[in-house]
Amino acid sequence: MSHDGIHPEPTSFWRKHVFSVDHKVIGKQFMWFGFAWLAIGGMMAMMIRWQLAYPGTPFPVLGDFFFPGGVVSPEQYNTLFTMHGTIMIFLGLTPLLIGAFGNFCIPLMIGARDMIFPLLNCLSFWTLMIGGAVAFYSLTVPLGGSEAGWTGYPTLSTTVGTQGSGETLWAIAVFIIGVSSIMGGINYITTIVRLRAPGMTWTRLPLTVWGLFFTSILNVLFLPVIGSAMILLVLDRVFGTTFYVPATMAEGGAGDPILYQHLFWIFGHPEVYILILPAWGYISDFLSFFSRKPAFGYRITVGAMAAVTILSAVVYGHHMFTTGLSPMLGESFMLLTMIISVPGEILFFNWLHTIWRGSLRMTTPMLFSMGVIFVFGLGGLTGIYLATISTDIYLHDTYFVVGHFHLTMAASALFGAFAGVYFWMPKMFGTVLNEFWGKVHFWFTAVPLTIVFCTMFWSGYAGMPRRYYDHTYVEYLRDLQHLNVITTHAALLLGAAQVVFAFNFIKSRWFGQKATDNPWEVGTLEWTTASPTPYFNFQEIPVVHCGPHEFSNPNIPGGADWIFQTDVLPGEPALPATHAPAAEPAHSA
Amino acid sequence: MTAAQTIPDIASTAPRESARDRTNARLGMVVFIMSWAMGVAVLVVSFLVLRDRQPAWPPEGVKLPSLPVALVATGLLVASSFTLHRAVDRLRRGFRQVNGLWAATLILGLVFSGLQYWLWMDLWTAGHQPWAAGMFESAFYGLTWFHAAHVISGLLALVVGQIGLATGRYGTHKTSTVANIATFWHFVDVVWIILFVCFFVL
Repeated sequence: MSHDGIHPEPTSFWRKHVFSVDHKVIGKQFMWFGFAWLAIGGMMAMMIRWQLAYPGTPFPVLGDFFFPGGVVSPEQYNTLFTMHGTIMIFLGLTPLLIGAFGNFCIPLMIGARDMIFPLLNCLSFWTLMIGGAVAFYSLTVPLGGSEAGWTGYPTLSTTVGTQGSGETLWAIAVFIIGVSSIMGGINYITTIVRLRAPGMTWTRLPLTVWGLFFTSILNVLFLPVIGSAMILLVLDRVFGTTFYVPATMAEGGAGDPILYQHLFWIFGHPEVYILILPAWGYISDFLSFFSRKPAFGYRITVGAMAAVTILSAVVYGHHMFTTGLSPMLGESFMLLTMIISVPGEILFFNWLHTIWRGSLRMTTPMLFSMGVIFVFGLGGLTGIYLATISTDIYLHDTYFVVGHFHLTMAASALFGAFAGVYFWMPKMFGTVLNEFWGKVHFWFTAVPLTIVFCTMFWSGYAGMPRRYYDHTYVEYLRDLQHLNVITTHAALLLGAAQVVFAFNFIKSRWFGQKATDNPWEVGTLEWTTASPTPYFNFQEIPVVHCGPHEFSNPNIPGGADWIFQTDVLPGEPALPATHAPAAEPAHSA
Repeated sequence: MTAAQTIPDIASTAPRESARDRTNARLGMVVFIMSWAMGVAVLVVSFLVLRDRQPAWPPEGVKLPSLPVALVATGLLVASSFTLHRAVDRLRRGFRQVNGLWAATLILGLVFSGLQYWLWMDLWTAGHQPWAAGMFESAFYGLTWFHAAHVISGLLALVVGQIGLATGRYGTHKTSTVANIATFWHFVDVVWIILFVCFFVL
């Protein structure tokens, strides 16, 4: 295992572009993988929405390829919403937010030449590829893909509820994807702890790296939980064991389906934060970069993210208020869930104070960062209704929940990912994304997205349950149909806006304007090197002298409002000799 | 240090691993063990919860697999941890000749696997297949299969270590890989002891 990225540049096509151990190539692989699955999962969302607005009418254009007579059948509808969730979370957002930018940014931002375990990094991507292949294959098996929802609750997900290999393959895919995430997590944690450049103290780390660090901790600790839960589910389905099959459901059953719900949400709640913490990290940096001000309360932001990381592990019970949880336990979970909004609020205030009276540069990454604040605000505030037992009993399993979690973990994470794509595009590919089309993309994403999920709050509050194939069968829901139509139209517009992004991305990637080395004028280490980044990242391992957000510091010479982290501020003490690069022999190439 | 002087150093030309490299590799392993421990904890806690729901334990009509065989298997696995620890310890203190101790670990691990197979057969032939009605079969096969998958991984890693030691790829100049294999194997051992307590003691 090579440790500081001192592996020679490969020359063969396979080593260079396919089985590469270079963190930048792997990051881009994760990115394309994430984009491809976001497109598939997004198309599934369009089909779900079409069915909800116009039940029984053929899906336009593509319907004939996928559905008998072009109409989504009830079984296919179940598969659609199950796989939409699984794909978006495990195969779309996770690879994009954590895989792509984690791999690409961590070594560059901490001043290293590669990840600490480059081979493990490569394995992590190809394991994910296998997981994705299994998930895709599960859609094509004779009895159809998984139909038990992305949560896969037993007994629906055991053979009592769903026959065929689709559900089994789904569980196996989730397991394999989990293994891939754990590999990534081990790599990120060890890299951040061990490979920081001289002078890159913990308090000089960009907040992006902090976000990814906390996410990695959650990945490493909680993906094994879903892994073990999936092992038991596969054993139940394939070998006829009875871990989740109760005696009331099958002869000889001795298990407990609620056990699965506990295991799933012990993982599932941290998973929400696995997706949102990197996005928080990115935007905490971007808001400072584009407000030309230091991030307000850097240490407090880090502390709040740490608090969220810890609290996320002890609130999972709020997903299970309706399972007959002991009221005392339920109240404890309610209280803990309420407490998690305290560090959440601290983050909000820090972001708003970062923007406050800054010299704002309204670039596309800045717009998307502000978008995160907005949609996470909406999602977070509605979360309070779901954390309160008395209102949750009523709102449970309605579209209110769907609107809430889409705004928090889906829309916020997606906006964070888009901010990252627009921001790091110059460093990744050496070209700049078109700003005009970027802004079009932002507004045509943000406005329809708000309409989609806010109308869901209304329909959910009016009692519309999730996962129904056709609400018009239910008399009291017929009056809500016009709301569903509005939601669907907004969703179609939202989908169309992503086509704008795809064109912009492809055009800018290959024919776009060449980027300068530091187009955004920010000081973090990745911008000290060339665009696109050379193979070894840095000619010399950089020596860090200041924090990531030294904006508008009056001591900066020459009238600039920013300096690189490698620059020494006048009047600041130089780095102690013990941290000089000469003391780091492992770095010398 | 006499042994180090009498045995020719087949790896003297290989670059020596720095303390920094060693810490990097060890930290990665520690993080992995934390992750794996979470997975094991989930299975064990699930087992204890499910066991608590049963009216009687072991359920009526279930005859536990042979306790003496399980005890011997446990003893052998614990012994293999000692031989492995001794091997790594010798390497760290500069003794190059550890092939015998390493091979002993491998053999003890293989015998343990044989006894594990015997335990499964003992239960299986008594009419308790995994799909038999009841929690005991589910839990016993499920958890020991999970453990066996890690025993197999551990044995493969031990083979890799043995080859590496024989060819001089690992040795006194590079101990982190063998130390990591040993850490993995020790935790295979720990998980087995937990399972043994779960099924044969409690």
